[in-house]
Amino acid sequence: MSTAPFRWRGLKFFAIITATYALAYVYDQHTALAALQTSGTILHKVLPIIAIVIGATAIINRMVQPRKIIRHLGKESGAKGWVIALSAGVISHGPMYLWYPMIEDLRQHGVRDALLVAFFYSRAIKLPLLPLMIDYFGWAFTAILTIYILIAAVIQGWILEKVWR
Amino acid sequence: MAASVQNNKPVSQAPSFLSALKRSALSFAAILPMLFGVIGLVGLFQTMVSPRMLASVFQGNPFIDTFIGTLSGSAALGNPVVSYLLGGELLAQGISMYAVSAFMLAWVTLGFTQLPIEMEALGHRFTLYRNILAFFSTMVVAVLTTLTVGLFP
Repeated sequence: MSTAPFRWRGLKFFAIITATYALAYVYDQHTALAALQTSGTILHKVLPIIAIVIGATAIINRMVQPRKIIRHLGKESGAKGWVIALSAGVISHGPMYLWYPMIEDLRQHGVRDALLVAFFYSRAIKLPLLPLMIDYFGWAFTAILTIYILIAAVIQGWILEKVWR
Repeated sequence: MAASVQNNKPVSQAPSFLSALKRSALSFAAILPMLFGVIGLVGLFQTMVSPRMLASVFQGNPFIDTFIGTLSGSAALGNPVVSYLLGGELLAQGISMYAVSAFMLAWVTLGFTQLPIEMEALGHRFTLYRNILAFFSTMVVAVLTTLTVGLFP
């Protein structure tokens, strides 16, 4: 297991957003405070997901050996790799950015980039929200969109690998 | 890397759960400035952009609106439920299904606001390719979905 030295990432980006808030506060105190409150609410909501992602990453590192990851999700993984990537995308919860550290970790263990692209796109299917989508847009729309998302996820991964070469 | 020898074959040793948990927590802690930045940006967006403001950017041409829907969905970030509600509201305001589908799909698959964090974690090249592919796929999926749904009575 590699042990890279700890360093904060994205300090410049954080400084830019902090400066934007400071600027917004100067021009419109009410909006800036409302935005800060909204951000606080979002942070509160994502805390449990952060815990899940940290736990899942630790379990993967503890239980799954790199050679197993390569066998199931590496270059020779075949159809099984696609099924795992799509299924993982569909069942994964929370904002995409919370999954980046885990994906980075899996990538370092040899997971195919094509499968990661498919994983990211299949996250568009939100199982718990399907009833709401059906209620809003109908059965036909929801079913057809879901099928096209899965097809598009695989095509994107396939294209990425062709372009990569 | 720690390794033990069993039957004359080197076997990689898995880290203890505690050290794996520590490593996982540290790699997450490292991106906290980026995470706070993205969440701050989402807060600003959700506060400053109203559904009416969003509806005003659409032109009335289904295909141009598909592009605008993808672009505006990419700029937005938040719970997917919000995208459904906004999508329903946009439909009620006469925005085409092409644009609304593209908007909702881009909302969950793309994210201009989270590009810095994605680049930091997965590299500039991967991020660029993934987002370009997802952008065009979103427009194609939105158009195909609307056309296919139109075939049903």
